[in-house]
Amino acid sequence: MNYFPDEVIEHVFDFVTSHKDRNAISLVCKSWYKIERFSRQKVFIGNCYAINPERLLRRFPCLKSLTLKGKPHFADFNLVPHEWGGFVLPWIEALARSRVGLEELRLKRMVVTDESLELLSRSFVNFKSLVLVSCEGFTTDGLASIAANCRHLRDLDLQENEIDDHRGQWLSCFPDTCTTLVTLNFACLEGETNLVALERLVARSPNLKSLKLNRAVPLDALARLMACAPQIVDLGVGSYENDPDSESYMKLKAAIKKCTSLRSLSGFLEAAPHCLSAFHPICHNLTSLNLSYAAEIHGSHLIKLIQHCKKLQRLWILDSIGDKGLEVVASTCKELQELRVFPSDLLGGGNTAVTEEGLVAISAGCPKLHSILYFCQQMTNAALVTVAKNCPNFIRFRLCILEPNKPDHVTSQPLDEGFGAIVKACKSLRRLSHSGLLTDQVFLYIGMYANQLEMLSIAFAGDTDKGMLYVLNGCKKMKKLEIRDSPFGDTALLADVSKYETMRSLWMSSCEVTLSGCKRLAQKAPWLNVEIINENDNNRMEENGHEGRQKVDKMYLYRTVVGTRMDAPPFVWIL
Amino acid sequence: MEKEGLGLEITELRLGLPGRDVAEKMIKKRAFTEMNMTSSGSNSDQCESGVVSSGGDVEKVNDSPAAKSQVVGWPPVCSYRRKNSCKEAATTKVGLGYVKVSMDGVPYLRKMDLGSSQDYDDLAFALDKLFGFRGIGVALKDGDNCEYVTIYEDKDGDWMLAGDVPWGMFIESCKRLRIMRRSDASGFGLQPRGVDE
Repeated sequence: MNYFPDEVIEHVFDFVTSHKDRNAISLVCKSWYKIERFSRQKVFIGNCYAINPERLLRRFPCLKSLTLKGKPHFADFNLVPHEWGGFVLPWIEALARSRVGLEELRLKRMVVTDESLELLSRSFVNFKSLVLVSCEGFTTDGLASIAANCRHLRDLDLQENEIDDHRGQWLSCFPDTCTTLVTLNFACLEGETNLVALERLVARSPNLKSLKLNRAVPLDALARLMACAPQIVDLGVGSYENDPDSESYMKLKAAIKKCTSLRSLSGFLEAAPHCLSAFHPICHNLTSLNLSYAAEIHGSHLIKLIQHCKKLQRLWILDSIGDKGLEVVASTCKELQELRVFPSDLLGGGNTAVTEEGLVAISAGCPKLHSILYFCQQMTNAALVTVAKNCPNFIRFRLCILEPNKPDHVTSQPLDEGFGAIVKACKSLRRLSHSGLLTDQVFLYIGMYANQLEMLSIAFAGDTDKGMLYVLNGCKKMKKLEIRDSPFGDTALLADVSKYETMRSLWMSSCEVTLSGCKRLAQKAPWLNVEIINENDNNRMEENGHEGRQKVDKMYLYRTVVGTRMDAPPFVWIL
Repeated sequence: MEKEGLGLEITELRLGLPGRDVAEKMIKKRAFTEMNMTSSGSNSDQCESGVVSSGGDVEKVNDSPAAKSQVVGWPPVCSYRRKNSCKEAATTKVGLGYVKVSMDGVPYLRKMDLGSSQDYDDLAFALDKLFGFRGIGVALKDGDNCEYVTIYEDKDGDWMLAGDVPWGMFIESCKRLRIMRRSDASGFGLQPRGVDE
């Protein structure tokens, strides 16, 4: 089988970087498995409870970079209680004990404590990169340890975390000798920032490429920061609030002009819109623009900005842009690949900010579009059919009609045909979220056509178990299925137990699944953890005489090689 | 395979004929028991109205705006984004009372409830308290002698000198306040006094 010495094969493997491909290589034969595991440096674990750190390290002793995901996706929408799990400390403790040469750690939806950050900072001499996304449980004290102890820190990237800001001096904890920063993102911190420490840090970081500031960094500080970091590629503006005096504004304009490498702009958390024009000179270079937190930027200021951004590939925006604004995007941003339109009014005001017209315009104007997240008030089948025809290359298609169960607003029909057209045309579709009025028919289409679909989010959809069965039977590549408020029950759940071995996880909440159904599943599949999350009715299920028929409020199941987890809180039953 | 648990009779999702009133639709809701606000989703209740609680049965709720806003975790916007957008919504809505107040030289915005003041004197006092600085009150009452001027942004996006229009008109149109150095005010483009809305 092997015509080459191991070193040669290993060298070839070095060129194979994607996790999927490396996993495939390891399955070819025993010898390749062995070579692959000793040369693997980066590991991605999509569910931290699918495996434990000891087994991970036994297989990959040369681990340098680890990505871990904790809570299920619906935790983003407050459907999972905070104490559910996803604790990173045991992982860090195990990694520290094993003395592996960890350099990078990326965590998503995990519970991180100051203690674990401190341990992390002290245990790995070459630690370089910390990326925390949607995590919680730590404070700026934890950040201070990272700053103080990680001598070669390259990336500190905090995205949308809940961090208790002690308003301490974590930024001044970076020693003067720390000059290696490439990424510094603290946009999600709420508290005051030591501006002097920040400016000094930026000034001594010649490699700094990505800087994302929080609200507490005002415009004049921004000007000074940009002046010391003209090499910046990715900038998150903090507070753009105060109308600057003319001198600050002039300084800012001058600094911006020098930032010729700037490609990505975000933030504007509090914005004085008419100051946006300061950025016009560099807009023609921008490939990424995130204004989704800039509630005060809309109307003509927004349009003028976008009209300068002809090279834009990624745009995240609020629906206050309106259909007309989206038409401007469609005619200007011909390179657009990813669009996200978020709702600006979450309190149900019913403003028809964007409709199907905006979506159709974008699909017609942007031939390279492959990822979309679109919140809107209304949709039609005809529009979706047109979108499918215009953009058959979608990889991710997420459409959220704000009102559950809303039909096609012109014909009053369900939106089955529209979504059917999408899955039929988009042969590379990997992720889909649908909404509006949907019957079992849409699932028939999904099962039939969505051959590459890996993640599907279902809410308020379907009529009978057939719907879920179409998906389970048809989508061979399904990895993550999450369902809420849909009438799928035990029949669908139990139809093909072996299917769940091929999937990472299944979430079902407010469906028709019963406790006895879940118990039966757990019995049939000991390699699954079937969790029932029952926060408010700890005793109700036991007392109730018809225990078996009791509907389960939230069920989360996932394949695992390490059995029941020991850290589950009392309101989580693992069957 | 057992059929129990399907409960088809409670999954009524009626499809209306074309043109039929959409209000006929029912949102199928499961038993939403009250969320324990301290242990989970405690941030969500700032923005969403309370969760419907019930016994063990499925509740059918008519498709009304009130019912919509009570669905937990809907629309599917992540809680971090929700919190941040709520901040904006709560503070920039005209007439809701809360406005942002900025002061030159102070890197932080403050927020205050205009509705809690009765008149300009009250406002002057409240601003003083907010920034711990005597001068603002004076600025409001006795404009020309002070280092600062108090201006506000009205519904139309224009900046006006505070104190000119009747109080009622002021709180209705004031979107935000700014305490500005007098030296900067001259080049600023304030709307001239006495301009009609």
